[in-house]
Amino acid sequence: MIGSVIIHHRSPTCESRNGLCPSWIWHHIGDYMSPLWRHVELTVVAVVVGFVIAFGLALVAHRRRWLITPITGVTGVLFTIPSLALFAVLVTSPLGFGFVSGVIPLILYTLQIIFRNVVTGLAGVPEETRDAARGMGMTDRQLLWRVEVPLALPEIVAGVRIATVTTVALATLAFFAGAGGLGDKINTDIDFKSNIAVAGALAVLLAIALDLLLLGMERTLAPWRRARAT
Amino acid sequence: MPEAATLEFRGATKRYPGADHAAVDGLTLTVEAGEICVLLGPSGCGKTTAMRMVNRMIEMTDGDILLDGHSVRERNPADLRREIGYAIQQIGLFPHQTVEENIGAVPKLLGRDRAWIRNRAAELLELVGLDASLAARYPTQLSGGQRQRVGVARAIAANPPLLLMDEPFGAVDPINRGRLQTEFLRLQEEIRKTVVFVTHDIGEAITMGDRIAIMREGGHLVQYGTPAEILGAPADDFVREFIGDRALHIQSGEDGALRVVDAKGRPLGTISQDAVRRALP
Repeated sequence: MIGSVIIHHRSPTCESRNGLCPSWIWHHIGDYMSPLWRHVELTVVAVVVGFVIAFGLALVAHRRRWLITPITGVTGVLFTIPSLALFAVLVTSPLGFGFVSGVIPLILYTLQIIFRNVVTGLAGVPEETRDAARGMGMTDRQLLWRVEVPLALPEIVAGVRIATVTTVALATLAFFAGAGGLGDKINTDIDFKSNIAVAGALAVLLAIALDLLLLGMERTLAPWRRARAT
Repeated sequence: MPEAATLEFRGATKRYPGADHAAVDGLTLTVEAGEICVLLGPSGCGKTTAMRMVNRMIEMTDGDILLDGHSVRERNPADLRREIGYAIQQIGLFPHQTVEENIGAVPKLLGRDRAWIRNRAAELLELVGLDASLAARYPTQLSGGQRQRVGVARAIAANPPLLLMDEPFGAVDPINRGRLQTEFLRLQEEIRKTVVFVTHDIGEAITMGDRIAIMREGGHLVQYGTPAEILGAPADDFVREFIGDRALHIQSGEDGALRVVDAKGRPLGTISQDAVRRALP
């Protein structure tokens, strides 16, 4: 139905052969900016909210180790729910179609990886470092924020990077919940190669850009990791 | 804060639930202000436990420990620890902090500002024989010996009246170890702290200790005295065996030179003719 609208934009030469059409792409790239921006919103909101939840759970589980197994179990189960099923359930719920129904599954899928990485990172802090910190008079809170979290940072950022790249990919399905994003563009003209190529390439570029951004953030926040013997 | 504190163990005891015997059993001894007290004994004798009860890294189950007459049990553990220097064998420098930040860790907890910490770090680096340019390095960029020195500098950064050291030179090679011991004694001449120094090495104990407390399995104190007292009059067979036969003998070689040998006849050195002439007029 919407396909016909787009078909009439195609010039007879390249588009009718359904090839990769640079001039078509050039003229229509602007149409992708709004879905791309929505894709960014979906990803950033999902990762930020997911991070806050998973990080909080990890801090609780760090002091109460017995919680790690149940939390890993629950977040693991969430991870195995097919995303389409989850979108469908949320759409039929009172939430209906829209951004919220699209972003909730994305949030849920980030929990497992971020939680696991934060817990592993915190647990990886050497015992003698912890002992020295306590012995010098740090409270549990100071130990956590001044020593454990900074030292776990590389592991934590690694988790956020994987979660982000995964979310960019998964967000292409959020249109099922009416949340828009690049998936919406792909779906509206799924048989037209130029369309798929542009939307796909933008998703890939977005994933790379966000990944590099996080990598740069880690480099800035953890300069000690690059320090080498001189 | 006083330069050095008097430390008094009064029947300090640590009993772990379910254990056959106490880890530390009624330890009673006094370390005078400004003295180095070495806790010496085989592994499992409770010496580290005894040391860690002082800053409440381990809570004693009975008895008391007094710092300048005040029970450590009545202090908030974190506040108490900030007043007590702490150096451990694995050092435990913070890998994500520069040397300066590591040294400034306790002063920062006590509310000192950056400028104060910068000056103090420079002063301490010089005091422990390190170049001031190391202040901006990370621990991974230091050698083992440098790390040990930073560990000591960090422990005394807030000028604590008491210093706890758990085999602080245990992880370095013998040559560096000897050097660190000598340097620490020179440093101690200047700072005159009360020090509790844990080791299992009798040689180190004799070198470092103003007094040595020898402990044995079950957390018992067997003998407490100066190195001379312990070497001269071992309290029992355990002490005698633990310190080994440290008697030295003079042997004359075929060439007429005099040699000092240990109990097993291994040569330790020669005696110069000058020394002989001076000793035997």
